Amino acid sequence: MAGSALVLSDDSRLSRMDHALLRLETLFALLSGLAVFALMLLAVFSVAGRNFLNAPLPGYVDWIEQAMPLIAFMGIAYTQRNGGHIRMDMLVGALRGRALYIVELITTLAILALMILLVWGTWAHFQRSFDFDAPLWSRDSSMDIAIPLWPAKLLAPVAFFVLCLRLVLQIYAYGRAVVTGQDNPVAVPLPIDAATQAALEAETVSSRDE
Amino acid sequence: TETMAKEWNVSLWGKRRAFTEHVEKLAELVSEKTNGEFTLNISYGGLSKNRENLDGISIGAFEMAQFCAGYHADKNPSITVLELPFLGVNSLEMEREISMAVYNHPAVQGDLARWNAKLLMPSPLPQYNVAGVGDAPKTVADFDGLTVRATGGIGRAMEAAGAVPTSMSATEVRQSMDSGVVKAVAFAPHAHMSFGTVENATWWTTNLNPGTVNCPVVVNADAYADLTDAERAALDSSVSEALDHYISSYDTKTMSKWGPLLAEKGISEVTFTDAEIETLKAKVAAPAAAAWIEKNTAAGLPAQELYDLVVDMVAAKK
Amino acid sequence: MEPIDIGLIVSAGMLVMVVLGMRVAFAAGMAGMVGLIWIFWAKKGYDPADFSWALGVAVKTAGQVPHSKVSSQALSLIPTFILIGYLAYYAGLTQALFTAAKRWIAWVPGGLAVATVFATAGFAAVSGASVATSAVFARIAIPEMLKIGYDKRFAAGVVAAGGTLASLIPPSAILVIYAIIVEQDVGKLLLAGFLPGIFSAIVYAGLIIVMAKVYKNFGPPVGGFTWKERFAALPAAAPILIVVMTIVLFVYNPFGGDAWGTPTEGGAIGAFVVFLMALYRGMRWGEFRSAILETAKLAVMIFTIIWGVLIYVRFLGFADLPGAFSDWLTSLTLSPMLILICILLAYAVLGMFMDAIGMMLLTLPVVYPAVMALNGGEAVAAADSAFGMSGPMCAIWFGILVVKMAEFCLITPPIGLNCFVVAGVRDDLSVQDVFKGVTPFFIADAVTIALLVAFPTIVLWLPSQV
Ligand code: NA
Ligand code: NA
Repeated sequence: MAGSALVLSDDSRLSRMDHALLRLETLFALLSGLAVFALMLLAVFSVAGRNFLNAPLPGYVDWIEQAMPLIAFMGIAYTQRNGGHIRMDMLVGALRGRALYIVELITTLAILALMILLVWGTWAHFQRSFDFDAPLWSRDSSMDIAIPLWPAKLLAPVAFFVLCLRLVLQIYAYGRAVVTGQDNPVAVPLPIDAATQAALEAETVSSRDE
Repeated sequence: TETMAKEWNVSLWGKRRAFTEHVEKLAELVSEKTNGEFTLNISYGGLSKNRENLDGISIGAFEMAQFCAGYHADKNPSITVLELPFLGVNSLEMEREISMAVYNHPAVQGDLARWNAKLLMPSPLPQYNVAGVGDAPKTVADFDGLTVRATGGIGRAMEAAGAVPTSMSATEVRQSMDSGVVKAVAFAPHAHMSFGTVENATWWTTNLNPGTVNCPVVVNADAYADLTDAERAALDSSVSEALDHYISSYDTKTMSKWGPLLAEKGISEVTFTDAEIETLKAKVAAPAAAAWIEKNTAAGLPAQELYDLVVDMVAAKK
Repeated sequence: MEPIDIGLIVSAGMLVMVVLGMRVAFAAGMAGMVGLIWIFWAKKGYDPADFSWALGVAVKTAGQVPHSKVSSQALSLIPTFILIGYLAYYAGLTQALFTAAKRWIAWVPGGLAVATVFATAGFAAVSGASVATSAVFARIAIPEMLKIGYDKRFAAGVVAAGGTLASLIPPSAILVIYAIIVEQDVGKLLLAGFLPGIFSAIVYAGLIIVMAKVYKNFGPPVGGFTWKERFAALPAAAPILIVVMTIVLFVYNPFGGDAWGTPTEGGAIGAFVVFLMALYRGMRWGEFRSAILETAKLAVMIFTIIWGVLIYVRFLGFADLPGAFSDWLTSLTLSPMLILICILLAYAVLGMFMDAIGMMLLTLPVVYPAVMALNGGEAVAAADSAFGMSGPMCAIWFGILVVKMAEFCLITPPIGLNCFVVAGVRDDLSVQDVFKGVTPFFIADAVTIALLVAFPTIVLWLPSQV
């Protein structure tokens, strides 16, 4: 998953902002992973409750449905930062330098356009489930035990907004690379040459040889 | 060219079945009456998830949709009065008339107007009953500790009978029954048939009748206002005929299959005495109604009035 | 312009964006968004005054999809099964399995590659997600193959193809998702995947052995393990059996009593057992953190594709493309078997551009009823049917065929998730390298699918025993 994708750093303001945002993104991604773990524990409790205590967990399905957006959305910017969202690299793999960064700039701008629209759309979705005057502010609740849905619906625009920040930062970085013509811009995932690769590889392997 | 034929998109879900026959009939009638100038384009699940059909109406993504009140009580608190346990409705015709009366109440119309929705017609369903595996309950007391898939008001009713209601999506019901997660399932007959519970069940309750779900068909209010007089007349005048068709087809096609199917599968029928049903009803109905009235009065609905409307109509029909 | 034309133009636009290197999930979402705006604006006759209305409706319609589609119990299996994969890796289970496979079977021609195939098949019994299986074996098996001189592209191809076994051999997230979309018995479907999964593994192994015989300088056999060493490798790999047993107990009913839960819960309990093993093996916070971060990364990548594709699917719904396809299919006058083969070929083409889950979500609502109708309906008896099997059996058979096709799509260019994952784990390999290395396995998969079509017994024997 491009786990070791190369994102360069230096002491520029851009790089510092990249790292500041990365801290937030990593936190979000960890939350997502913990939600997966919680989902597993939830099943254990549900099964144990039903089989040993004759007391099924009320609203088991409702809770799963609440946890899923946490898993599905929170890591989205982290994955974009590390170049982990899949793509065809036939064309971009063949390009170098300015040509490469022009293409990256175009596709990243397209993603930003989409995500701004989706922040709007998912926010509207949240808003329809939210009502300041209602009990628990809820105008839409889960089917079985009536958990308000607005917190889970709010996760989408929040995670997508963070992704927008990440995209703006990447667009700035690509834009600067196009203007200055530099080969290895900071703050964006780079295609790695074989030598760097070998070094990274040695590192991963040795860390697993206990 | 301003004489473009008008086409409405209609968001349903699943596949064409007894539950959607009134919409299919409506589409047929409207097109006939306007010589094809106004058509309903029905989509089964392509336009929205069923729990979000009301959102789609409010956005204006499509002009007509069906949904069930119990999917999202907070979105449509007023019509959940029709899903209260043990209301005593005993025919599709009665369900239809009472639903229409509730739909015509100004408070209910105001509730749905928050979604820019106008209630058009109900999809009357018969009372739910429970199908299960293992020893058939002979009395209501035998429900004690029985794991049963039941949601909403019906779940509360089962709880009061001592059963343990468990939730899951309808599509996981069959597997849960196979694997012993639940011993029994509350559904309307058509759902017992389409979700395969009849394949395992060894018994079925004939007269528990704890309640049903209410699933209206609504239209987008703006789109409705934009209809020409001729189009609106074609739509409005077809509702009654569409519902007649729905009820006769549910009664003849679905219910006529149900009895023989029970016999064919060797499913035993459990019938409780009136006294037992009355005891259970006393335990469930009044507290559920009181809780519903209290909650919805607080939310600003004339809850007592709506409840009385339903109860009085049921009493008048008996 | 007819909605169908809009559908085709927008789809072509999506392909252009994908080829340009736009991340696939967003390219699909973008196509869906543009398509929705177009459809709604077209409805108002392209009146400039109505553009903002069309934009608003399209954005809000698309904005429903991410939350609405991911908050599903059925899809909760995906992260759970990915978590099993990574926990098993950190518990040392994967390595133990690979070591055992190596000592027992690596003496054959192409030994290490064959051992990898069987180790992935064994791992498939605990892993329900193909991509996770490929991801963990890319770390374990590829370095060993490279050490003894395998072509790195082929080594990557073995792992990418081996990973697909995880979705046939139970448990399998994608089989459960199929069962839920078409409302069929999950337990029987999972059972039905077992033999075709083993069968696929044998075909893969056969192919590797033939290649090793034909080509010089292929990977050499790895011999010299004593029987003592072979047996010594077993205890470390044995815990995998405990996990398998746990999951089986959940989904089936081997002792006549009640099973304990649904497949969804079985997956979660399996993950919990592996988690306990990993703790026992000395997993600490650092490793746990890596396991859940890796799980989160893979899960978010898959879910982003899911909602991206589903925005596009929502647009197709408004363009009524599925309806048009259904009408066309039922109007054909070919023999049912020929139509089925055409459908499978169409899956092969469609699958080039889509991921497995997206493809199933997109097509099954239309194709499944059509196939059931071809066979003679849901309730048809075997004797009266076109394919010689009852309705429920046809549902199982077609499910396994579709899942095998969907798995095939995971290794075909230009969009092949398993190949992306392997290339992602191994940065010395480009996606093109992995696609080159996996090409021989297309032949193996074509052979397997042909045999599953010709001999449905391979699929149906096991489920018909219960
Ligand atoms: Na598996
Ligand atoms: Na593919």
